Amino acid sequence: MSSNQFFNHQGPWSDATEPLMCTDTGDWRTKRPVVDREKCIFCGFCAIYCPVQVMEMKADYFEPDLGFCKGCGICAKECPKNAITMVSEGEFVS
Amino acid sequence: MAEKKKGRLTNVLDYLKHDDPFSKGVAFCPGCGLELLLRFIPRVLGNDIVITGTPSCSAPVLLGQNRQSWHTLSYFGTLMTGAAANATGLVRYYKKAGIDNTVVCFNGDGTANDIGFGNLSGAAERNEPFIYICYDNEGYMNTGIQKSGTTPYGATTTTTPYGTVHRGKNLRRMNLGLKMAMNKIPYTATATLSDLEDLAKKLLKAKKAKERGFCFLHVFAPCPTGWGADPADTIDICRQAVKSNYFPLWEAENGKIRMTKTVKKPKPVSSYTKMMKKFNHMTEKDMKILQEDVEYEYCLLGGLSVLEAECQLPVSAEDGGEKL
Repeated sequence: MSSNQFFNHQGPWSDATEPLMCTDTGDWRTKRPVVDREKCIFCGFCAIYCPVQVMEMKADYFEPDLGFCKGCGICAKECPKNAITMVSEGEFVS
Repeated sequence: MAEKKKGRLTNVLDYLKHDDPFSKGVAFCPGCGLELLLRFIPRVLGNDIVITGTPSCSAPVLLGQNRQSWHTLSYFGTLMTGAAANATGLVRYYKKAGIDNTVVCFNGDGTANDIGFGNLSGAAERNEPFIYICYDNEGYMNTGIQKSGTTPYGATTTTTPYGTVHRGKNLRRMNLGLKMAMNKIPYTATATLSDLEDLAKKLLKAKKAKERGFCFLHVFAPCPTGWGADPADTIDICRQAVKSNYFPLWEAENGKIRMTKTVKKPKPVSSYTKMMKKFNHMTEKDMKILQEDVEYEYCLLGGLSVLEAECQLPVSAEDGGEKL
């Protein structure tokens, strides 16, 4: 969730202090991106090209926020080192 | 463990100076080019911009639903026939009230090229100081993939189907960017999502040029759902469109065209069309017509960029292209 979760100012309607709408778009996913931290060279291409902007910058790698990742696979396709693989969600069902 | 080889962080992150005003989970299809563009614009231009928009794919998210909103930007929803006219009204109000902000008119190609072209043209003539951004997904995607003026030759949509009688769209696409550049407005540019640094530079340039008048940005944003493409290919489709000269990147200041990216050895347009299902039925004859169309438009652009660099225009860039 972005830092400005609530409206700070009066909106055009009366109860504009309600939180932002947010759909759990992570439920749509059939494949999830798995980042190989060894291969990752921290170039940031996955983060800039991700339409949902879910790639979070960690110490020396990027990690997707799986609560909202729609599983489109752009990050895996654009990674210059093929550090991201799309793994079927079925493999993570316990 | 050996020290990991680190690459250089991409320059694009330097342009993203502002917070993302959108909530994390918004209702766009996976791999949507529009979503990437829509999140990119306020992060570059700032969260204080005012967006006006029309019924389109962007409207459900920009307009909000019931009493809640998907974002914290200021948004003004208008009809498709009056997008630029309403933005004009907003700009004039802000000028009268002494408020300094950026009005961004964010529309699809259906509004910009077909339904709302009349007042877009009018706003360009009056040189109203706002930024008009057209995201081009080559059709009316929100209402069920109908053809628009920018749909290319041969593409299948629900209104130009492929069958025994019709073979996709039998008309050529219109070049919206060039049409606007010919109005000699302060800034016109085409951009696409594969080159985000270029897009960010053009957005910032448009924000600066807005003080002198009307700015127009034509952004190529693929629609994986409507085009029958793999969502993972969205960025690659943009890249192939540039490499095959299908969507050349250029900018024009006061009508002076300058190529921002030239391709040394352009690929055949089939390298672009093979990535999506809407061109699946294309025969060699159809491909030849599309290839000729692409080459003709590129030659026209190249000719204009050389010609206009040599010619002395009546309004030079130095005096800001002011209204006569």
